[in-house]
Amino acid sequence: MATRGGVIQTAWGPVARSRGRRWRGAGTALRTIASALIALVFFAPILWWVTAAFKPSQEILKAPPSLTWEPTLNWFRVVLGNQDPTSFNVEQSGGVGRGSGGGTFYSIPYLRDSLIVGLGSTLLVLALTAPAAYALSRFRMRRRQDLVFWVLSQRMLPPIVVAFPLYTMYRQLNWVDTYHGLILVHAAINIPLATLLLMSFFNEVPRELDEAAMLDGLSRFGAFWRVVLQYTRGGLAATAILTFVFSWNEFLLSLVLTEVDIRTVPVASSTFTTAFFVEWGYLAALGTASIVPIFVFILFVQRHLVRGLTLGAVK
Amino acid sequence: MANVDVAGPSRHARPQGAWAPVTRVTRRFLTWDRPLVWLLPVVLVLLFIGVYPLAYNLYNSFREYNVVDFPRRYDWVGLDNWRKLFTDGRVRGALGTTAVYVGAALVIEFVLGLAIAVLLNSGPKLAGLWQSLLILPIVVPPTVVGVMFTVLENAEYGVISWLTYELGLLDKSEPLLGGTGRYAKVAVLLPDIWQWTPFFVLILLAGLKALPEEPLEAAQVDGASAWQRFVHITLPMLRPMLAVAVLFRLVDLLKVFDYIFVMTQGGPGRATEVLSLYTYSRTFQEIQWGYGSTLGLAILVVAIVLANVYIRVFRVEWD
Repeated sequence: MATRGGVIQTAWGPVARSRGRRWRGAGTALRTIASALIALVFFAPILWWVTAAFKPSQEILKAPPSLTWEPTLNWFRVVLGNQDPTSFNVEQSGGVGRGSGGGTFYSIPYLRDSLIVGLGSTLLVLALTAPAAYALSRFRMRRRQDLVFWVLSQRMLPPIVVAFPLYTMYRQLNWVDTYHGLILVHAAINIPLATLLLMSFFNEVPRELDEAAMLDGLSRFGAFWRVVLQYTRGGLAATAILTFVFSWNEFLLSLVLTEVDIRTVPVASSTFTTAFFVEWGYLAALGTASIVPIFVFILFVQRHLVRGLTLGAVK
Repeated sequence: MANVDVAGPSRHARPQGAWAPVTRVTRRFLTWDRPLVWLLPVVLVLLFIGVYPLAYNLYNSFREYNVVDFPRRYDWVGLDNWRKLFTDGRVRGALGTTAVYVGAALVIEFVLGLAIAVLLNSGPKLAGLWQSLLILPIVVPPTVVGVMFTVLENAEYGVISWLTYELGLLDKSEPLLGGTGRYAKVAVLLPDIWQWTPFFVLILLAGLKALPEEPLEAAQVDGASAWQRFVHITLPMLRPMLAVAVLFRLVDLLKVFDYIFVMTQGGPGRATEVLSLYTYSRTFQEIQWGYGSTLGLAILVVAIVLANVYIRVFRVEWD
């Protein structure tokens, strides 16, 4: 329990010291149990889906979910190892059926496409927005506030509004189904996030540092590159990770702007469900493979997450 | 500062030869001291994604793609698409579905998020762990969430469906997914609530931790009850954070597409057809490119109006 100056802090305000110690302990226990239950409710679907990736078919289709089962790696063998599903002993593994619908369940190509587009767009967006964020943070300009709001307003643009015009444009440029086409779009939709988030990090570096650097003979760009960026490495990392996550999760534009050569994980997931006959184990394995790395990254930048999700408005 | 720059040797070297006028101009105007040089790449990309598509949609809204004649072409239709927009029953349906979805999600996520944030801030043990577990739903790809909830809500073997039967909330004859679609809106709301309630929790938790203690202590000395302190002091001080959280959810909820596309594709019937899904199906399934563009613009107008009204009313500010 957080105490400040001997007074117990709660959201409801400091609790009077007069309450007995034992009473206080019971309250903490109750709050801890309630918090744990709520966390569990939110974590349970993820836990259930990840464990489903290790369950044979008939165990996945059980409610309430089974807690003990014979673990199987067969879903992963198909999804990550490209093994032929029919090569498994059906009775032993619990009926790993054949894949069906819009594509094969072998998912390394989907993960690779998502990774290429995610990394490419993250690098591009940082290169584009870091200088812009620096300018918005440092230069005195007319209509600066209007510019910030214009960038922010792009965050409100529903992707369905831009999907068709971009599709037409990409058709003419022959950019449909290309990495650079999708990278550019993913970078573009992440510009508001990256610009405003980096601006909020740059704002925390005192201007005196740039000025001192320039007095020492560095150019404006040198001050930005060698001083300000060095001081905001943590912020840059957080921005990069969040941009990557949003690119990794983006669905609608990836769906519209790709056809056969490129298929990102969200698009692959959606085409599997529309299949006539679905073996959920494949989707559980693909889902697990696509979320576990993200979890590791996001827990690293946890403390910047709120700032990132609100584009720097809440720190 | 400026003196140091001007005193640099490069400024004095006069460019020679045929390119001299050009280099002189670029040296004069394209220096690192000009904000435009820093901002230009971002401005260009935003024109590409934020301005060109709108102009193209506007242009397209006055014509319609002709799929009957060959070679395929666009026909000019004047204001037909715009007239159709106001008489189309599916637009009204989708508008209603979107309003219900956005309203229900906002209210439920707001209330749940506030309650959970207050609980986590009241000093449970291992608060950091519970918070980390709550973060995880936010970063799961929405399509994967859609797939998860499709299985969880399956009428035969879904865990959530099973819970609704056990608790006596629903009957197998009218389940969450399937049946007549009576509860379809609830079915597609659950993933959003699961994924984005933690967003409110995180923001409000950050807000609660940053609150000054003095007003609360003073109120307590004055004999205010815990509830009074919460309603009259904590909530008003959280208002800026609440405003930002609601604004972001509002904007994102108006775009909602992924869960519904994966789970129901707008069905059964049109029970879960929200505006972006309707636009998608007109544009990419029915190949009515002109009318689809008109619908896209209409969504944008709704989004801009709502967001602006909201920003004005709650005085949300960025800096």
